[in-house]
Amino acid sequence: MHDGVAAYVLGVLDEEEHEAFERHLDTCERCQAELLELAELPDQLDELKNASSTSDDDPPMSMSR
Amino acid sequence: MCPVLGHLDGRFESADAEAEHRIAVLYQEFGGPLLRHVRKSTGNDLQWAEDVVQETLVRAWRNSARLQWEPSLIWAWLLTVARRIVIDGRRRKSVRPQEVEPPEVDMMAVPDGSDRALSAMVVADALRSLSAEHREVIEQTYLRDRTISEAAEILGIPPGTVKSRLYYGIRALRELLRDKGVAG
Repeated sequence: MHDGVAAYVLGVLDEEEHEAFERHLDTCERCQAELLELAELPDQLDELKNASSTSDDDPPMSMSR
Repeated sequence: MCPVLGHLDGRFESADAEAEHRIAVLYQEFGGPLLRHVRKSTGNDLQWAEDVVQETLVRAWRNSARLQWEPSLIWAWLLTVARRIVIDGRRRKSVRPQEVEPPEVDMMAVPDGSDRALSAMVVADALRSLSAEHREVIEQTYLRDRTISEAAEILGIPPGTVKSRLYYGIRALRELLRDKGVAG
């Protein structure tokens, strides 16, 4: 259950799972602490999302190395 | 006792009046910061951002037990509530045809001299430092507004595996960004 905290913070759980995780969060101090640690991370990923909206017309490029 | 709302206990004659006042207090406490935060995700669409804040605070009021948490945890929780409302809204509003994929990470951080492009570049660099498996699940879920289940289907791996990889990938990303001195 604990590893759901990342998916929860990012908001990518299905509705049912999201609600189940919230109930878990109510009593799990470990997940509460991780929620605090990860709370700003989605904003940092949003920097990428926002930056991408200006380069939609560019050809796709593989990111494999 | 609830740090935000506890002092209101017992002061109201009707439940409606109390509810109204509690929501007003939530607005006072979190409304401004939340609006500033949400506006960044709505592309500065103020009306949409205000709607998101309102829905977030109404949901918070309905789950008032969580308002007994300490304020920093309430804030973190409110951000997740607001984020889901924005993502749901974006899915509904999306005018971009489904078959058009967003650009890959290498495309996402073209520097244009702004702070925003700079931090996007730092995040893109950190993503590239992750293992391919970790990077892939972050790209296929959050960066594409997809749920765990949707990403699992696309990647052909079990949802539990996506969830677990996402957890370790996000933790690794967090460590990398902390090492690079990115606030968060």
